[in-house]
Amino acid sequence: ALASKKKSQQQMSRRYDKVVTTFSPEGRLHQVEYAVEAINQAGACVGIVGKDGVVIAAEKQNVRASNGRLLETTKTSEKIYKVDDHVAVCVAGLSADANVLVEEARLAAARYRYAYGRRVPVEQLVQKVCGLLQLYTQYGGQRPFGVKLVFAGYDDILGTYQLFTTDPSGTYSGYKALCFGQNATNGQSLLRNEYPDEPPALDDCLPLALKVMNKTSDSEIISESTAADDASPHVDLFSLSLKDLGTKDGPKVFSHYLFPQEKIAAIFKEHLAPDAAAAAAAAAA
Amino acid sequence: MSIMEHNGAAMIAMAGADCVAIAADTRFGLRQQTVAVDFEKVFRMTDKTYVGFGGLATDVQTLRAALRFRLSTYELKEERVMKPKAFANLLSHVLYEKRFGPYFVEPIVAGLDDDGKPFLCGMDLIGAPVFCGDYVVSGTCTPNLNGMCEALWRPDMTPDELFEAISQCLLASVDRDALSGWGAIVHVITKDGVTSKRLKGRMD
Repeated sequence: ALASKKKSQQQMSRRYDKVVTTFSPEGRLHQVEYAVEAINQAGACVGIVGKDGVVIAAEKQNVRASNGRLLETTKTSEKIYKVDDHVAVCVAGLSADANVLVEEARLAAARYRYAYGRRVPVEQLVQKVCGLLQLYTQYGGQRPFGVKLVFAGYDDILGTYQLFTTDPSGTYSGYKALCFGQNATNGQSLLRNEYPDEPPALDDCLPLALKVMNKTSDSEIISESTAADDASPHVDLFSLSLKDLGTKDGPKVFSHYLFPQEKIAAIFKEHLAPDAAAAAAAAAA
Repeated sequence: MSIMEHNGAAMIAMAGADCVAIAADTRFGLRQQTVAVDFEKVFRMTDKTYVGFGGLATDVQTLRAALRFRLSTYELKEERVMKPKAFANLLSHVLYEKRFGPYFVEPIVAGLDDDGKPFLCGMDLIGAPVFCGDYVVSGTCTPNLNGMCEALWRPDMTPDELFEAISQCLLASVDRDALSGWGAIVHVITKDGVTSKRLKGRMD
């Protein structure tokens, strides 16, 4: 983005970008914008709200590195974390910053639960985290967090599933479907065309998420070969849904489900492979 | 009257062969006045760990919420369930944090280890733990409870025998205590799950 600016403008912004707590003459906070840039280079992430659940697909970048095979971690996922029973978060950007924010989100959700005896409404939680993010754009001279968070959760007052994103400036937005990261524009246009007027069933969200992932990656990230390849999974496919509605007094039970490779392969085989084959046939003809 | 006797309680945790049971009365009173007969004092922390708090009712409820907070934070971070021994240590720590303004409770912890072995622990209000292999008691009639348990406990009881023993101990003990009784609940924990039953006792 900077490269396309005129030289004088470049020099101008250079003067005002050293410290986050200074506005430029155009009224911009350059440090915050640079932080957003850091995330635009991150692995693609797709989120889709369904009628009975939320789906997130995230490209994992660690495995793409040359020593991907040698990685060994005890964490279930490096991208998607459980925050509370009814909320999960997908992170993109600087991992160290992300870990701090996930911890803060978990504590904020737990404190609300302690104080009010009920689960925190997702938007309240997002606002709390954004309050923290904003602090680092105004006070202390510390740099902002180079992380984009995607919160997926269930609001039991509205009775719907929700998707929110935060960015380093502390702004948040609610979405029905989203895509960001590398080549996000391709994914966003696909979602604009294919996301239905009403939230679809969870089972329909899954193949759509994988389809968008394919659109945003350089090579086919989900294909016949990679989908079945246990050794180097490139994509985390995750869903949050109500497992048990519970009773009036009994607890609701949520399922945070990270799809194993075989399941991803099965979804691909059933939904994406026929279209891919048809497209290949059409191209050959 | 001591602050620990303001609300009234009676509870026992007992070990059997690869099973534990934890039982408590369900009275909630304000000195001599009984206010509720369905007051829970034993709580599930994990599938294999239960904790009971005897003492001041407000601290019973607050501690339950505080421990749930600490436990869920642990489980989110470590992506695993807390073991009974670790939970007992956590509880001890939480109590000692308030060493000079304590929670007025005396907890008992009952759990099953990963290898199915029983775990029992009793604590004073500032977190000093005692680990036992047979039984631990807490409440306003501990002399009664200790006496009954000493008489009825034997090693290696089956879940049914354990249920019988702990129930008889509790019911007999609370009958000679004005501040406890008015209903009771027993949880028996085995590797296959937990059975919870309410006891029919004297409602006086």
